[in-house]
Amino acid sequence: MAVGTLVGQVREGEPLAVGDERIRGFIAEFGRRLLSPELARRHPELASLGFFLRPSELARILDGPRGDHLRAPRGLVFHVPPANVDTVFVYSWALSALMGNRNVVRLSPRAGAVAATITRTLQESLADADPVVAATQRIVTYDRSDAVTAALSAACDLRVIWGGDATVDEIRRHPLAPHARDLTFPDRTSFAVLRAAAWLSASAATRGAVADGFANDAYWFDQAACSSPRTVYWVGSPADCDTARDGFTACLARAVAQRGWSVDAAMAVEKRVATYGLAADGRASAIDFHGNALASVTLAGPEAAPRRWLGTGTFAHARIEGLGELAGLVERRDQTMTHFGFVPAELELLAGALGGRGVDRMVPIGSALSFHRVWDGVELTTEFTRLVTVIA
Amino acid sequence: MSVFTLAQGAKEAVLLPELVALTERHRRACLPYRRILDAIGAVGPYGRVADLPWLPVRLFKTHELRSVPESAVFRVLTSSGTTGQRPSRVYLDREAAAAQPRMLAATLRAVLGGRRLPMLIVDSRSVVRDPTLSARGAGVLGMMNFGRDHAFVLDEGGGLDAEAVRGFLARHGGAPYLIFGFTFMAWSHLRELGLDLSQGVLIHSGGWKRLAEQAVDNATFRRRLGEECGLRRIHDFYGMVEQIGTVFLEGPDGGGLYCPDFADVVIRDPETWQEAPVGVPGLIEVVSTLPTSYPGHVLLTEDLGVVHGVDDGVWPGKRFSVLGRLPKAEARGCSDTAAWAAA
Repeated sequence: MAVGTLVGQVREGEPLAVGDERIRGFIAEFGRRLLSPELARRHPELASLGFFLRPSELARILDGPRGDHLRAPRGLVFHVPPANVDTVFVYSWALSALMGNRNVVRLSPRAGAVAATITRTLQESLADADPVVAATQRIVTYDRSDAVTAALSAACDLRVIWGGDATVDEIRRHPLAPHARDLTFPDRTSFAVLRAAAWLSASAATRGAVADGFANDAYWFDQAACSSPRTVYWVGSPADCDTARDGFTACLARAVAQRGWSVDAAMAVEKRVATYGLAADGRASAIDFHGNALASVTLAGPEAAPRRWLGTGTFAHARIEGLGELAGLVERRDQTMTHFGFVPAELELLAGALGGRGVDRMVPIGSALSFHRVWDGVELTTEFTRLVTVIA
Repeated sequence: MSVFTLAQGAKEAVLLPELVALTERHRRACLPYRRILDAIGAVGPYGRVADLPWLPVRLFKTHELRSVPESAVFRVLTSSGTTGQRPSRVYLDREAAAAQPRMLAATLRAVLGGRRLPMLIVDSRSVVRDPTLSARGAGVLGMMNFGRDHAFVLDEGGGLDAEAVRGFLARHGGAPYLIFGFTFMAWSHLRELGLDLSQGVLIHSGGWKRLAEQAVDNATFRRRLGEECGLRRIHDFYGMVEQIGTVFLEGPDGGGLYCPDFADVVIRDPETWQEAPVGVPGLIEVVSTLPTSYPGHVLLTEDLGVVHGVDDGVWPGKRFSVLGRLPKAEARGCSDTAAWAAA
């Protein structure tokens, strides 16, 4: 189908409203299907997606700020999700659809099995939905074609680019209409911070739960999701931090083994290359392997924290004196700070000191991957709507 | 004198002290290497060659690793990295640069004899002329030292130059001569010639990936070249720029690759990292006493291999095969993988 025809079809037909009942019904039905035991067994990540799309959550999302403004859809939204995180496009698309937008999602031909399952489930749900849904919500797959990307870019009112710096730069070569704008999700990295004293005084059950949550945060997307922790900062005295780090690593090794997370030989070699490289650069003073699945690197100092991916299950540990020291270490691309052992006031103090220079999320360990309508420092539902001022 | 003389026990006894000495020499002279050994807690003593700390060979792509001052560097060798990857850089001082062709020659002497033979090259002259020399070109150029009166099987455009080969055979075909080419080139072009190459000694290298895609294994390769070209003396070899001068050479019967006296292989189980038993595949670690100017004496490759037997073949020591390459590690994640590789 020609891209012009596609755009025409998506734009045609009845208007959609923010929170349009037909779309809400469709999304809820789609979410229900994702929660089917059979799908959830095969692809557990679909369960969290389905949970995110349940009607009560949709209602909460729509229950945003009201006042002298009416929210209206932006119009046509063009989504470019990453090739290798299969579920991101659904969050992006579903929130946009819920806000009454017409959507074209470019799904990479390299997308994996989970994406295929999602697309199939989406098609099944569409069959039962109001025809306006099928007409206005489209998933397209094409191999890197500048012509198609250019046409969709020129036609859309909002372009949403996930997938990192390179993708953002590449897609940005195609001009938007003057009124349209980009919403970009460039490369981000994340870290964890724990208070050593809190870890040392925690019960065995708490330690187990923290280690398990941390394993989830890290291993689910091969530690390569933008919110997966890579560096672990310990706050406390040198002796406390050393003891806590060793205890934490032992708990983590158990959690990883229990969950059955493992890495293949290629990944095992990747981790050796990456960690030996850190040592060669003088940034790592010790490297310890707990089987191939878990590598623990002791950094020469907190400023040596690597931002790049070091292979699945590679954690760089550093000690800092206080939480406030992070203010000098955080970079723009640091996204999620998972934490353990701090009170809200301490976290708020740090957030204030950072002043938006980095870290868009501070969430407890175990919640790194929980998607929220506020992501990367923007509220997606706001981005997906226009505000119309109505003062009588 | 042959360099395929030592039985495994004797080789271990010779290599271990030399490799331990190299480990300490590089530890003293190469700061990044010392930092790695410190970080992984490698202190010795080492009871066996397999106990020595190894470096992943890819570190030569990511880091400058040399054990001689910059002023003593005589040659820097580079490999052609795959697209988007930096090439390996190997630093040779005058002594190491002199040793590597000498030891390569000693190794090949086992199958070529002591005299320099006329040489037929299964490639085009243009690969050695290209100013940005490819890995293939560099390989051909390196091997050309071992022959004389060179003739090329392909013309400048890459087409078969049967005339040139006929001329070469008319001059040299009555006595042994050297044929060199990359494995897939030898397979693709020699059979096409339809000529009698029975006096030739074929030395080939470069790996089996492209032939495996055509379901051609080593046995088929040897049988068909024998049937169609009369080639009976065929020797594959395995080696890498990071251990320049060291090649593992296939024995006359095609029963596997053998290690010269100054080198060895250790097949490692990639789960336990212990040495795998005979017959069990694993990652190939190559050891050699040649790398004196850079810490490349114990390297873990990303190739899979298997030892078929020890002291049970035509030459002493380990008899092994290369089974293929480890795939590149891939991850999911929010960003596109290509971007991380470049990072």
